[in-house]
Amino acid sequence: MKNVAVLGVGMHPFGVWHDSPNADMSLVAGMEALNDAGLTFPDIQAAYVGYILGWTMSGVRVMKEFGLTGIPIQHVENASATGSAAFREACLAVESGRCDVAMALGFDKMTTSISTAPRDGAMENMEDLILPAAFFAMWATRRMHERGTKPEHLAKIAAKNLNYGARNPNSQRQPKEIITPEKVLASRMVAWPLTTMMSCPIGDGAACAIVGSVDLAKKLQPDRPVIRVTASSLQSERYERGHIFQGPVVGPPQMTRDTSTEAYEEAGIGPEDLDLVQVHDAFAIEELLYYELLGLCKEGEAEAAIERGDFEPGGRIPVSTDGGLIARGHPGGPTGLAQIWETVLQLRGEAEDRQVDNARIGLCHMMGGGSVCAIHILKRD
Amino acid sequence: MTEETRTRIPIKEDFFTVPSSPQVPPKFLGTRCKECDEYFFPRRAICAKCNSQNTVDVEMSSRGTLYSYTFVHIPMFGSSAEEHKEGYGVGQVDLPEGPRLQMPLAGKQADFRVGLTVQAELSTLRRDDAGNDVVTVHFRPVEEKP
Repeated sequence: MKNVAVLGVGMHPFGVWHDSPNADMSLVAGMEALNDAGLTFPDIQAAYVGYILGWTMSGVRVMKEFGLTGIPIQHVENASATGSAAFREACLAVESGRCDVAMALGFDKMTTSISTAPRDGAMENMEDLILPAAFFAMWATRRMHERGTKPEHLAKIAAKNLNYGARNPNSQRQPKEIITPEKVLASRMVAWPLTTMMSCPIGDGAACAIVGSVDLAKKLQPDRPVIRVTASSLQSERYERGHIFQGPVVGPPQMTRDTSTEAYEEAGIGPEDLDLVQVHDAFAIEELLYYELLGLCKEGEAEAAIERGDFEPGGRIPVSTDGGLIARGHPGGPTGLAQIWETVLQLRGEAEDRQVDNARIGLCHMMGGGSVCAIHILKRD
Repeated sequence: MTEETRTRIPIKEDFFTVPSSPQVPPKFLGTRCKECDEYFFPRRAICAKCNSQNTVDVEMSSRGTLYSYTFVHIPMFGSSAEEHKEGYGVGQVDLPEGPRLQMPLAGKQADFRVGLTVQAELSTLRRDDAGNDVVTVHFRPVEEKP
């Protein structure tokens, strides 16, 4: 992408907010993004609204809280990558020249939308019997078989993310004490070897990003560095032997490698140029595999890199600096936009306690239902 | 109805056979591409490898190799079976024809190991209002033949 900048970002903290409707949370996130950009809602020329759980047209209804200005509003859904996909559409609208300013807004209320009761009715698929965490647990078992990975490696990733979460005011999990890998290992087992603290919580929240042309970014905030979107890639699966057709959460890891290759090419950089990275760490084993698939370390070397602390604060390349899905949370629709929020703050040097020194280039990675991969690369001018 | 005569109905049609004799294992209902000879589960109209529509329905093996596994520590959704109350195993199983399946496993965590031979069996989840047993398929580790 040549001509897209992030003008403003905003979030409603992720958490369990039983008494906050989607519209209220969205208004908090959206107004924060508008204020951050120095814009008002009538300046927005197109909106892309993402949520996973909710009735049809929920996005339009939420947008009415901001105003009724006749702009095109498009609903976007791509499972966990919903917010990322909405962001991509907003970027493409600006890059194409169709509009100067576009808003991407994501919201969801997982805590009231997901029923934990046994699903006794008609089954859509045979695998509906199985807890989705099991599919990711089997990635871990296989990795342990092939590479000798230990649960301690997964615990170290989760502890890092939880301790990052403590430094993020918008994080759902903000532990009051330092989390050790031992504590992560001692938490309740969900699907062996994954424990609760190695898994993201369900939650509620909203997040928003406003994008516009680079010229507009310079005009609106002349004293602030321009944060460009230099790559936006979205891919789905390619068939290979061993592909599992049952269920959407079991996509091949290769998709992340292919999508990142495309994104690096578009941005004209390599993984060695990245200063920080956000990934879809719904489960700690995912983050481990993405280190390699994104090229942050060589294949088979993720465990050694974890032991060295490569991805910790002050490490070679900090990952999940806002706590990731494991700590910051994963309400669904807004998750990908929370990654954009974090990366923009980091690149501006506004990330306070969790600031990565002189961060200039950041990558955001999301998976949607294991079946799509979305990657954005942001760069400070 | 007695245990012997109760009807077994699959949780989902067109995924596996339900033999009339409890001694006969279920077979998986799949698709073979007549152009490139790739096999798929579940059934599909178009080959995912070469995009040919020249495909045919097949029955596939009921025995495979355990590629990966886990043990879930919460009760199985939609099951009232005693064996699923404390949790259940889940496995990814490679059939000799090629497809990789994702199914519950019978047994405890210590029974599972990557590379084990596993055998498909029908597993009763619950009884429906008409008194039929609702069944799915699970795999059980078996002794490997030398």
